[in-house]
Amino acid sequence: MSTVQRSTFFLSLAFGIIWAAAAHAKSMTVDDSGSVTIEPTVLMRWKTAVPTRTAGGKLMVGTTTIRVRINVMPWLKHSGRIYLALPAQQPGPISLSWTTQGRFLPGQLVSGNRVLVYAGPITTPFMEDTLTFQFSVAGTLMQRAVPVTYHFEMDEE
Amino acid sequence: MRCSLDWLHRASLGAVFLAVAGSAAAYTVTLTPASPEAVYLQVGNGTFAGNTNCMGSGSDCYSSGGTPVNNATVNSVSVTVATAAVGNGTAQAMTTNSTQADSFWDGYAYCTVPAQLYIGGFYRTTGAATAAAKVTATVPAALTNGTGGTIKFSQISWTSSGNGDTTANGFLPEIFPGGTFVSGGTQTVGSMASNTWNESCWNFSYLNTSVPGAGTYTGSVLYTMTSP
Repeated sequence: MSTVQRSTFFLSLAFGIIWAAAAHAKSMTVDDSGSVTIEPTVLMRWKTAVPTRTAGGKLMVGTTTIRVRINVMPWLKHSGRIYLALPAQQPGPISLSWTTQGRFLPGQLVSGNRVLVYAGPITTPFMEDTLTFQFSVAGTLMQRAVPVTYHFEMDEE
Repeated sequence: MRCSLDWLHRASLGAVFLAVAGSAAAYTVTLTPASPEAVYLQVGNGTFAGNTNCMGSGSDCYSSGGTPVNNATVNSVSVTVATAAVGNGTAQAMTTNSTQADSFWDGYAYCTVPAQLYIGGFYRTTGAATAAAKVTATVPAALTNGTGGTIKFSQISWTSSGNGDTTANGFLPEIFPGGTFVSGGTQTVGSMASNTWNESCWNFSYLNTSVPGAGTYTGSVLYTMTSP
């Protein structure tokens, strides 16, 4: 009887550790299908009308405004950390900076990374904000129109 | 019984997460290059519009957000050769009426006027590096004095430099190197890599190896920039 109880204890402990590890590592993509892009095509223009005499001055920049509406209902009444993720993708390194209306945090990142835009309790089924994005890409990579994908991720606390 | 409820709860929770994962969306925007190509060539005086206080110099320039615009001025380069020196083989330095000393790139006092003629420009294009844009000079056979007298254009040559240009800072060799005019024809006087500001200052000389009749001899050279 004693042996059975001890085995149960170790088994429970093991499950507990696995559960905890999985909870910290889990990032879920948040449903942002309610978002609306005001300008779905981002016109990329030279950041400066004139290049520099050295290797710089080749950046193209473009701005778009997106009404973000993410569905956080699965995490309602929990606390979570929401990230804006810009995966590494074609045409190459992409820099993204954004401003917000205050619901989310402003920030900037380079493709292949994610940045925290919200941390705290999830009190409403949907979270909304208007974000103004500015994309920056080397003009040497911008031979034609390219789709760029980003998403929001939730780390539940 | 309590245990069973707990499993049921976890099973439901798992189902919700799966449903969320299935409906989650990544957002896509399309980045489209707009008006990506531009060329600019300036020989002598040029004009930039926009900010008028480049680096505190009072000049317009790119560093202050300036934008190049058209300037139709045709500058001249000239020399008066003393009678005693005509044809003696001693090159005669020429001077220009161009007042362009500062670079429009950064307002730097790049050329020395009236001894030097500014030449600069750029070629903007998207995509990977392409072949360079060429700058050519279309040169008449000779300068003329209006009464039948001529001086071959090959009597004029130029050297190239620029204040602050060194090998260490990568600005040497000059993008627009020295040379001598052909007498009638088109010759390449420089090439510009894409997306780079290029500039040099030219010192022109009259080689003075012939003895033309007295008079004023003129001729015009047309500089053309051609992008790939």
